[in-house]
Amino acid sequence: MANLDQLMAIDGALAAFEMNERGELQQHRVVEDSAFDERTLDLLGHMCVANMAIATMQARGWEASFGKQGFYPVNGFTLVGLKWSAVTNGCHAVVMSNASADYEKAYEVLGVGGGAA
Amino acid sequence: MLTAELMRQPGVIAAGEYSYRGDRFSYKGEIDDEMARMASIMCRATTMSEHMQVGMLEQFCPDCGSSPANGWIVRGPMFTVCNVANVFAFLDNQSASLNDIMALMHKRLADEGTDLV
Amino acid sequence: MIRSLLAVDGVVAVCHFRDDGALVEGYGRMPDQQLQALARFAHDYKRLVQGNIDQLAMFTGIDGWTPPGGWIVHGVGMTVCGVGNLVCVLENAAGNPSEVMRELAEAARY
Repeated sequence: MANLDQLMAIDGALAAFEMNERGELQQHRVVEDSAFDERTLDLLGHMCVANMAIATMQARGWEASFGKQGFYPVNGFTLVGLKWSAVTNGCHAVVMSNASADYEKAYEVLGVGGGAA
Repeated sequence: MLTAELMRQPGVIAAGEYSYRGDRFSYKGEIDDEMARMASIMCRATTMSEHMQVGMLEQFCPDCGSSPANGWIVRGPMFTVCNVANVFAFLDNQSASLNDIMALMHKRLADEGTDLV
Repeated sequence: MIRSLLAVDGVVAVCHFRDDGALVEGYGRMPDQQLQALARFAHDYKRLVQGNIDQLAMFTGIDGWTPPGGWIVHGVGMTVCGVGNLVCVLENAAGNPSEVMRELAEAARY
């Protein structure tokens, strides 16, 4: 299970937060002078939940059509914006700068298995 | 062509391109026509959703650097799907470097328009 | 033409939007800025529903889902209904989404 301090220790991390199953913000950390306020992180949390639900539906449908392959259960979704990316798994998410984004590291800290050897 | 270049990267199982209008797709790799068609429909739907979400985030936080959307990643236990603009790639988690693939896609697609046409 | 939808019970706003999400015309108890935002939301939501319904049709192989007839988002006190490039907001306590969808479908033909 990731904790917020571990997520904030990822190179380029701008914010980390925990949400409930509905996406509502439970606790968060941001870097100093962050543009990300609670209202924005709460919206982002709802998007994380929505995206994981849609991706899970897609993986389920895909594997129902073509057999089990290794997409389901989805254990990570990343939304890549212009300057930053939001990576989520379970009830945690980290927002990191695209300039130094290490997606594999983020998934590792978020407890996602199956990374590159 | 980017899909051909992606197929030369380690761990890339398939790569494809779809039109935002939803009327055509092309692909290379270890999937068949039907899988590529379905993958294109799913990737297009997720991309449309991502653009909507990033637009909302931009309204909440105009200085956060959200917009325009720059891609998304779905991480499964064995495979990952990543998408930038209207190009997608299926990766084997064990042998592909997600960071390298995303960097390559962002580099090659940096000048793509964001009006989804 | 779409202004007449305001006469339907519970409807507080109605918008017609272009395929790029721009507001064509909008009426009701909302400032212009909110009507523009409603048009944008409805445009995005129409695309989202189209994408999801394409996937539902694809995964289930069942005919009759696509093209979508419209969408309804039901909130605690308000509901948003969309058909084609038209969208209505109604108060749950004062209106009926079924009636609004019927009226929207009729108006969307023109």
